[in-house]
Amino acid sequence: MNVMITGAAGGLGRAFANECASRGYNLLLTDINEDGLLCLKRGLERQFDVTVATIACDLTNPESVDKMLDVIDKHGIRFDMLINVAGLDYEGEFMGRDREKIVKIVLLNNAATLRITHAIIKRRRIGKPFTIVFVSSLASMFPMPIKATYAASKRFLLDFAISLRQELKKEHINVLTLCPGGMVTTQETMSSILAQGFWGDATTNSLDAVARNTIDRALAGKSLYVPGKLNRILSLLGKIVPRSWVAAAIYWRWKAVSER
Amino acid sequence: MDTIVITGASSGIGLETARILALQGFTLLVVGRNEANCIRAKEKILSENPDAQIEYFVADLMQQREVIRISEEITSYLNDKCDGKLYALINNAGCVRSWYMTTEEGYEQQFALNHLAGFLLTYKLLPALIKAPGRVIMTGSESHKGIKVRWDNIMLYRRYNPLTAYKQSKLCNILFAKGLNDRYNASGIRAYVVDPGLVNTEIGNKETGGIVNFIWSLRKRYGVTPDVPAKTYAFLCDRENTPEGLYYYLCKEKKYSREVTSENADRLFELSERLCGIHYGKVESL
Repeated sequence: MNVMITGAAGGLGRAFANECASRGYNLLLTDINEDGLLCLKRGLERQFDVTVATIACDLTNPESVDKMLDVIDKHGIRFDMLINVAGLDYEGEFMGRDREKIVKIVLLNNAATLRITHAIIKRRRIGKPFTIVFVSSLASMFPMPIKATYAASKRFLLDFAISLRQELKKEHINVLTLCPGGMVTTQETMSSILAQGFWGDATTNSLDAVARNTIDRALAGKSLYVPGKLNRILSLLGKIVPRSWVAAAIYWRWKAVSER
Repeated sequence: MDTIVITGASSGIGLETARILALQGFTLLVVGRNEANCIRAKEKILSENPDAQIEYFVADLMQQREVIRISEEITSYLNDKCDGKLYALINNAGCVRSWYMTTEEGYEQQFALNHLAGFLLTYKLLPALIKAPGRVIMTGSESHKGIKVRWDNIMLYRRYNPLTAYKQSKLCNILFAKGLNDRYNASGIRAYVVDPGLVNTEIGNKETGGIVNFIWSLRKRYGVTPDVPAKTYAFLCDRENTPEGLYYYLCKEKKYSREVTSENADRLFELSERLCGIHYGKVESL
């Protein structure tokens, strides 16, 4: 089993890499952070009997992606699974943020994800089932002021993934979308989760469990995974309550948190 | 003058130990994660003791490349100023976590900092320790009792319990000390573990959340001040006296877990060597 993971050097990417390696899958890891990739490769190879290859790549840069694909093609690598983790967010009101930084959210979370997904589906192992995981977010279920661009970019992934799944079903390709709440991946995410108090804590998912369940479900042919009971209730509410009400409630709550 | 390296020395038990050792005339190389805290620690020690010899090194020891970087800085300092000799290494830096979090290598953070960082740093400073010959002291905990090392899943991946991870890392500290003694007593090196007891420090409030943070806030109020365990470190660094035991509490030997055997120590060495990409020597026959 050959698995490609994007954004592999981050917290969730590392959790997926660990999970796959513990299952004996071989890995091709990519991330913009080359040092992080090399550390992770060392760590995985010391723990598990798997082959780990790394290619540093800026997925928002088409030339950088082409270079990576050249390496992949030169070695004739074929994949059984793609896990799209790479993504980013800058929190804050739309007009309070740097213009290019906001554009970058869409460039990475959406444009770059489409680019790599297209390229890797073409390089799947023929005649075998193929699996794609998109890392969306609980934020995709609601319009979210303060995280407006991020939430919308994750909504894009969710809707895109559901459509893509239909198109690819006949090719024995399963597409799963993961919509986690907050996850404690770095010290910064931990502080921001703690700042949200009870709701931050209650919607937080354990990293290792999310990685394990995601892969189990993706291989079982499921289409959506929202980790945590409370998060599933919240996502249901997102479908019932009018979207402008949700936005107003979320804006009010974030304001309350940021003034704390 | 004899030199001591002490990690996690910008606050808590480490800072108090550094202060006491400086008063006894040791040259201190303190390692901390935050530069501002390191500067404050150095100033605090100097304000009380203007003649103190103290240098600080900033590193996030959870990350192995940081351990390797400062081990090289420390080694060149020792070679320049201390005749290449290290009198004692105090592996004190430690952390508590509420969630499964990983280092750059993908290692669980409590295991990585509380055990592997000291394991790797000791290896890197071994030539200087052998030259002295020196002592290696780990900050352990009474909580190492009542559990076993999960050899097949040492990072507790998939079954993460933050408290179990902490306890196991503290059991690893004693196993490491035991293994060091098995290998290097003949070279004159001695390794010890200190049980500091319940001490009023911030360890359970740093980067933890939810229940761990809350419980620790309640518990630490009943803890002693850090100068109490610091005396035990000073006792183990005494130039006149080389204690023979392994595990110390309030300057006295204490019973440790039955899990602490040479066999388990060898197993931990083998596993940790693999995770750090290093090789200690063979067990010396005495």
